[in-house]
Amino acid sequence: MDYSKKIQEIASKLFADNKINYFVGYKQNSFDDSQVPFLITDPAEIPKLVFTDRSVFNLANYLKPDHTKRKRVGLVVKGCDSRALNLMLTESQVKRENIYIIGICCEGVLNEKGEKAQNCVECVMPDPVVYDEMIGSPTGKREYTINADIRELATKALEERADYFESIFENCIRCNACRHSCPLCYCAKCCIDQETSTLYHGANTSSGAMHALMTWSLHLAGRCVDCRNCEKACPSHLPLHLLHKQNESVIYENFQQHLAGMEKDDRGAFYKYSLSDPDDFIL
Amino acid sequence: MARVGVFVCFCGANIAGVIDVPAVVQEAKKIKEVKISIEYKYLCSDPGQQIIREAIVQNRLTSVVVAACSPRMHEKTFRKALLDAGMNPYLLEIANIREHSSWVHQKDKKAATEKASDLIRMAVAKSIANEQLHEISVPVTKRALVIGGGIAGIQAALDIADARIPVTLVEKSPSIGGRMAQLDETFPTLDCSQCILTPKMVDVASHPYIELIPYSEVIELQGYVGNYKAKIKKKASYVDFSSCTGCGACTQKCPVKVPNEFNMNIDKRKAIYTPFPQAVPNKPVIDAEHCTMLLKGKCGICAKVCEKGSINFKMVDEVIEREIGAVVIATGYDLWDPKPYEEYGVGRYKDIITSLEFERMVSASGPTNGVPVRPSDGKVPKNVVFIKCIGSRDEAKGIEYCSKICCMYTAKHAILLHHKVPDSHAYIFYMDIRAAGKGYEEFVKRAQVETAATYLRGRVSKIYKKGDKLMVRGEDAQIGQVVEVEADLVVLATAVIAPKDNPALARLLGVSYDKYGYISEAHPKLRPVETAKAGIFLAGCTQAPKDIPDTVAQASACAAKVCGLFAGDTMKKDPMISTINNEFCSGCLNCIKVCPYQAIVTEEIPLGHGSKEIRTVAKINEGVCQGCGSCVAICRSMAISLAGFTDPQIINEIVAI
Amino acid sequence: METEVKETQGKIFSAENPGITAPTDWQPVIMGILCNWCSYAGSDLTGTSRIQYPPNIRIIRVPCSSRVDPWFIIKSLQTTADGVLISGCHPGDCHYISGNYYARRRFLVTKKLLNFIGYHENRIQFSWVSAAEGPKFAKVVAKVTEDIKKLGPLHRYKKENF
Ligand SMILES: Cc1cc2nc3c(=O)[nH]c(=O)nc-3n(C[C@H](O)[C@H](O)[C@H](O)COP(=O)(O)OP(=O)(O)OC[C@H]3O[C@@H](n4cnc5c(N)ncnc54)[C@H](O)[C@@H]3O)c2cc1C
Ligand code: SF4
Ligand code: SF4
Ligand code: SF4
Ligand code: SF4
Ligand code: SF4
Ligand code: SF4
Repeated sequence: MDYSKKIQEIASKLFADNKINYFVGYKQNSFDDSQVPFLITDPAEIPKLVFTDRSVFNLANYLKPDHTKRKRVGLVVKGCDSRALNLMLTESQVKRENIYIIGICCEGVLNEKGEKAQNCVECVMPDPVVYDEMIGSPTGKREYTINADIRELATKALEERADYFESIFENCIRCNACRHSCPLCYCAKCCIDQETSTLYHGANTSSGAMHALMTWSLHLAGRCVDCRNCEKACPSHLPLHLLHKQNESVIYENFQQHLAGMEKDDRGAFYKYSLSDPDDFIL
Repeated sequence: MARVGVFVCFCGANIAGVIDVPAVVQEAKKIKEVKISIEYKYLCSDPGQQIIREAIVQNRLTSVVVAACSPRMHEKTFRKALLDAGMNPYLLEIANIREHSSWVHQKDKKAATEKASDLIRMAVAKSIANEQLHEISVPVTKRALVIGGGIAGIQAALDIADARIPVTLVEKSPSIGGRMAQLDETFPTLDCSQCILTPKMVDVASHPYIELIPYSEVIELQGYVGNYKAKIKKKASYVDFSSCTGCGACTQKCPVKVPNEFNMNIDKRKAIYTPFPQAVPNKPVIDAEHCTMLLKGKCGICAKVCEKGSINFKMVDEVIEREIGAVVIATGYDLWDPKPYEEYGVGRYKDIITSLEFERMVSASGPTNGVPVRPSDGKVPKNVVFIKCIGSRDEAKGIEYCSKICCMYTAKHAILLHHKVPDSHAYIFYMDIRAAGKGYEEFVKRAQVETAATYLRGRVSKIYKKGDKLMVRGEDAQIGQVVEVEADLVVLATAVIAPKDNPALARLLGVSYDKYGYISEAHPKLRPVETAKAGIFLAGCTQAPKDIPDTVAQASACAAKVCGLFAGDTMKKDPMISTINNEFCSGCLNCIKVCPYQAIVTEEIPLGHGSKEIRTVAKINEGVCQGCGSCVAICRSMAISLAGFTDPQIINEIVAI
Repeated sequence: METEVKETQGKIFSAENPGITAPTDWQPVIMGILCNWCSYAGSDLTGTSRIQYPPNIRIIRVPCSSRVDPWFIIKSLQTTADGVLISGCHPGDCHYISGNYYARRRFLVTKKLLNFIGYHENRIQFSWVSAAEGPKFAKVVAKVTEDIKKLGPLHRYKKENF
């Protein structure tokens, strides 16, 4: 999967036609074969744009700052990224007319070890769900499978799971990189930063982190698209996907197979209900 | 620094009999913020409140905790005490140590006492985060909207209008009157229904404070108590009511014949029709589903014979908007279709009819001129079997509840049958006779004595045909034997059910309805004519099956409620509602989605201080918000706060013990 | 998915807290969060009917089960409570029409998530109790108390948290 040339062409055309003020893509890192998000306003930089199976980040995250709301932006999205974009659109975070979406029919990206990333192996929708221009040939929606790690953890004894998660929370340094890197964490002032919030005073301990990460993951429940931007940003390399995938699987199994951002007007599973939602867990 | 006063009530022995009140008082004194902690026998009494008032003033308290009975009992009383002492009433918290402790842990005095102390700690902690709140006043539009023009709607409209409050009465069908217009004579007094109803219908039409909009439906309601905006769809009647004199030439000449629903389809009406002779308004409408002119562009006879030129085939539906302050729902009832009673041959045997069909037949102005006849051969029946509880009290085939009116009207039918066909005999199969009501038991006795009707207690198991008779087989539980009655006519007292449009209407109005489709009252005993949505009331069978006296009583009660609501120019509203801090709002607008009362709208604010750019955020209309807190919990940005139940208040409660 | 984990037999206390013992007079604290219109009214009725139940529950009143943010549960478990009981109006009976339907979704996901990270699912319980169900409220509290007593005191994440 190397769409670098194609993306450069499209970007040139967009700049030439004055359709965009800037473009968000990927650039090769100079020191290893990884890539970084790359934001250009000068067409002269177009040749540096690349797209391969190393283009791991979710660029929708770069539509978060306020100034982007008034500029016209071209950006590259993979399947999962485009689902996040769908949610940002319904949640009024971006104006559709201000963005030009280049959707990639994704073949999966690689993890640090050079293997196909787990979220890509389990990906339900590699094709873009919203786009202006599509690259590659769509392969369609795939069957949902419950995340391998979740399945494994479910077989563990309760206390083992509890210890495992406590060790995860212990290693969180409360840097908030996970929240910053998630395109769906765009809040004007995140609850974690609000002085009146119950989370604000939470100490930098496993319980403080537990409270913060639990709240955070519940804010993403029914919205997380499994792009794993958060996990890639975490300096402590915490397996944050566990929390999200757990919620996702519960939501998928119980609420009409809901998957975040799949449909155009999706708002996430907590902002709607069905009369037939499970009730048997309630006394 | 907070200065909290704690007042612990003995409630006679109700609390003090289980809880060690002095110990609890001492325990409360240990809380840092508590400045005074005292006990009293009955805090809700005048001297009790006096103690609270004095303590507030003497100790310059910043909040008050009363440890007593449930806040659902005396919250108002104690708020008033705070107010009288010059303190904001919302600085009160109640620790419910009676219902939640002394009454439920009578055997474990120690634990009950500890629990009481904990509940007080929680209330103290919460009260520290309490804020001063002020009642909200909202302007009111003094006009009521009544939906449904049966006897319920008519009575409510007249009573409200008599108080000189304008009313808009919306009726779905071409005429007001509802089911009562279809009845012959009415229990328990046998007044003729038309005679007591028609004058009221005429009053509605001529009342200066009533605007009658027939043949129309409410399609949208927005706003909140005192300030609703309704959209009403007026169906095209194809007749210009302002020029039509109601002469009836058109209805006579129209060649199209359609089953007459007013007469339970026993006879036919025309495609242009007035539902019944005393209809109000007494103007015809064209039934677009059957008029050949409207369907095929041919005919137009009515237009030719109308001297006033009132027929207009180009008429279209019209949407009217009205600003109103209150709504009365009075959409009445429907009747259950007895089809599931296959063993009775319902649908197969023509001579099985429903009670309302019987009612139309015995009506002097009805399709058979007041004489019951057999649909199969038009003969006057001699032996008539009435079967009660068809669909009612029948979980398997129908509904669980009792339709309430069938016992009474079946007794009435026995009398009416006896009057119309003196040599006839009535057999009545029943499960029980439920005749509670003024003059009701006497009425049933009268039916039994006067008509010598045979009351058979038991279920009918089967009906089959024998010659031109219907054989009704059932059991007579009193003698414990199977009986068979040879009947000329069988009348089924079918269950009363909610109109099938009720759920849709309820959703549109934003009120709740029960599993049967009846509109729910706010409280079954104490608020029987209000819905849970402020400013929306209900009357008549739309709430549950009932007879005319109950319907009228409820309608008048609604009118009193509406008049009460409109008594001042503004309304007072509980301040325990939500507000959005727009600095924190990220504009996701999910709150708008979840608010059950459409209380949230968007607002545009500057992007930053002094910025010309705008950003869209959510804003709560304080007049509409009911304070449920749905939006608060779904707002990830924690931009919404619900007065009285704020995050800091709840955290304080959680961590207090 | 099988998230349920069997309690280890023979141990009085918690699968979550192996080896932890509690004083013999230990009593759990249960944080009860009740909606005003149904469950709180129902619990009042339990009182007026003098139906007895275990004294371990501490009740917080909220207008509607939909006011309950998942952090109420997390915070309770991290600070004062050994278990949480949240109760609202039966589906269809919500005083605010639809509040409990939204709440029900959040409750399920929250319960499963907490169970996933190591809380026994009996520590987080929900019920629908109407204003008429005084006896039911007593039964629910008795059951929840019994369940949590079996699990023992909750220690995890309780430290240095405020
Ligand atoms: C066979 C029979 C005999 C009876 N005999 C007696 C008796 O002798 N004595 C007695 O006390 N009671 C009797 N009743 C009961 C009596 O009919 C009712 O108590 C009474 O009619 C209830 O009045 P209402 O206004 O609530 O409903 P309805 O009479 O049903 O009136 C409802 C009105 O609302 C209109 N409507 C419905 N939906 C809408 C909408 N969405 N928008 C606008 N308008 C709408 C309908 O068209 C109708 O005009 C009898 C009932 C039956 C079935
Ligand atoms: S999760 Fe799917 S769309 Fe996203 S990078 Fe992997 S394969 Fe591509
Ligand atoms: S964690 Fe929650 S409050 Fe914070 S930015 Fe994300 S969604 Fe918003
Ligand atoms: S939570 Fe993580 S995986 Fe989910 S959408 Fe946000 S960044 Fe992607
Ligand atoms: S990025 Fe990692 S370390 Fe930082 S707050 Fe998130 S989970 Fe904790
Ligand atoms: S849910 Fe919260 S952030 Fe979203 S629009 Fe409403 S108030 Fe604003
Ligand atoms: S609290 Fe929120 S959701 Fe509830 S009525 Fe008010 S604005 Fe609507």
